[in-house]
Amino acid sequence: MNYETSILAVSIFAAFVLGVIGLSAWLGSRAQSAGGYFVAHGQVGWFVNGVAFAGDYLSAASFLGICGMIAFFGYDGFLYSIGYLAGWIVALFVIAEPVKRLGKYTLADALNSKFNSRGLKLVAAISTLVISLFYLVPQMVGAGALVKPLLGLPHWAGVVMVGVVVTSIVATAGMVSTTWVQFIKGTMLVVVCALVMFLILERGFSLPTTPIGQDEVQSYRKDASGVIVNGSPLSAENQLDTKLRAAHGIGFGSIAQLPDGVRATGPLGPIAFLETFSKSTVTTWKKGTDAAGTTTFTPVERKGADLLLPGSSPTFKGVRDDRIASKLDFLSLMLALFLGTASLPHILIRYYTVKDAAAARKSTVVGIGVIGVFYIITLYLGLGAMTSGALDPTDSNMSAPLLARTFGNTLFAVISAVAFTTVLGTVSGLIMAGAGAVAHDLLCDVFKMELSDREKVRAGKIVAVALGLIAIVFGVLFEKMNVTFLVGWAFNVAASANLPALVMLLFWKRTTKQGIIAAMSIGLVGSLAWILVSADTLEKIYGFSAADAASRALVPFSQPAIVTVPLGFLTLIVVSIVTSTGITKPQTSPGIA
Amino acid sequence: MSGRSESVSTAGRSMVDWWGPLLFSVYCIGYAAFVAVAAFATFAGGVPVGGLASEAVAGVPWGIIAGFGLIIGAFVLAVLYATLARTPQDGAQK
Repeated sequence: MNYETSILAVSIFAAFVLGVIGLSAWLGSRAQSAGGYFVAHGQVGWFVNGVAFAGDYLSAASFLGICGMIAFFGYDGFLYSIGYLAGWIVALFVIAEPVKRLGKYTLADALNSKFNSRGLKLVAAISTLVISLFYLVPQMVGAGALVKPLLGLPHWAGVVMVGVVVTSIVATAGMVSTTWVQFIKGTMLVVVCALVMFLILERGFSLPTTPIGQDEVQSYRKDASGVIVNGSPLSAENQLDTKLRAAHGIGFGSIAQLPDGVRATGPLGPIAFLETFSKSTVTTWKKGTDAAGTTTFTPVERKGADLLLPGSSPTFKGVRDDRIASKLDFLSLMLALFLGTASLPHILIRYYTVKDAAAARKSTVVGIGVIGVFYIITLYLGLGAMTSGALDPTDSNMSAPLLARTFGNTLFAVISAVAFTTVLGTVSGLIMAGAGAVAHDLLCDVFKMELSDREKVRAGKIVAVALGLIAIVFGVLFEKMNVTFLVGWAFNVAASANLPALVMLLFWKRTTKQGIIAAMSIGLVGSLAWILVSADTLEKIYGFSAADAASRALVPFSQPAIVTVPLGFLTLIVVSIVTSTGITKPQTSPGIA
Repeated sequence: MSGRSESVSTAGRSMVDWWGPLLFSVYCIGYAAFVAVAAFATFAGGVPVGGLASEAVAGVPWGIIAGFGLIIGAFVLAVLYATLARTPQDGAQK
């Protein structure tokens, strides 16, 4: 793919990012107390907080990952959109108001509100750190993917850039600036993506100048002499899509056949766009490896209607498989997406930035509205990218920015800047959650360090820097992973470790601190262990072939939530019953909102 | 807070307590049905046989319509809940 840089694009990108950083630093300069640093004094307005929810939540996974997954596999990316959005219903109806009433700074505050247990604080803080790190990795991977085409820099440079910028934001001003970064980013993301959707509909669909033959395999390999593309060394004149563009006037991802034999549709409405896509044939590209170890991309024509069904991607292929283990893998991931949102520490701490339970409720509604609009737009962005002729078949995460580039370098720069700010917003929230867990929960409550307000803030800033460094390292190591896939793991771990404890604390009066500690520990360790020995991890992390990974996996399917969430509930119930002997005074449950 | 406003608040609270679980259950059923249909009623032997693969309107399969429905439905239920859950206490806190 041609990743030449443009001065205009770089200038817009730089202005955009510097503007956001400057604004956030100015807004955050007044927050010096612990309450200001960690939860913005609890005085953020519900509307701003609601949009900031969207800014926090619509991460690189939502923007780059989902668009990329739809662009490569169709409906499967949309399944993530549905699951991510549905999770907000759990947050609104079950978690939002009780958590706001119980907590002060962190998830551990809420869980420990009735027990005053150091053990519980320790487990909750560890859970927060692990989940935040799981969620941080895909954000950093997304950042690295962005700078490659925009600035012509290697992946690691993008990861380092995000790490340094975010750490600066968080370390200088805390939750106030983080909130405003997320608010700005949430607003811009939806507005700019809506503009791109409008342009996609205006452009409609068109065919390549000549049909792409089934035998037009494209290839690349890396060896000691460098990267070889279609038999010749990689250069500005010989990119992976150069041959295709020369022969067909279009790169990877195109329409092969339109309904009624037309060559171009012209502008389409939102429904007509889906109808036309459904009745068209699309040229997709299947990745493979030949006997010499060269990576190949083979054109495969697929019916649009089939691409609007689940099961095209490796993640969701189980839907089309009759084996029960495959079905369970799908059900488990959809369960994790549904339950994971309300268990994410960086989402939960945003409930402490508003003044009361009513504001928590209203801001959640605003968040659902903004996020819902965005997820509907992503379907059009993804399908638009799939047929734009601008895909990079080696990197699904780049689909949305490359789609924007088909409308000009200015839009490409704006989209890339928004995406970069997207990463900044989410990473800021994650690092804030981690900093709060260490400075507030571990240092003050577990290790009983006597810290003044100012010292607590300083400790939070030091932790933020450390987390930023760790995130940079992981972001470089996991370069080739689809960011949505990685976030799916974070949802599994969050749902398994935190949800049983939160729900039972709120709704079961016999819940004990031992029950919560046991459930969180089992959920956290169980889900992590399950993921580490699953076929997906063996294949995508350890590098086994798909067949080897399937035979060596120690668990029957890769997504753990369907086992580890019930296990967490069961553990909590059993341990609470065993340890509740002697408790005579029933505890008051905050109940459902 | 006066006794009268306390009782009004309590009434509002109990309304929230009633509507919250109801609306939550409605959405859970919808989501579970969607996932179940996707997993068990859309394919047999890897071939589309119905469910989300059925044509809903103008060649667009039910999978798309159901997905839009769950996203828009979540917002509708959230607005409904926020409206029903509004109590006099909320106004006093503004």
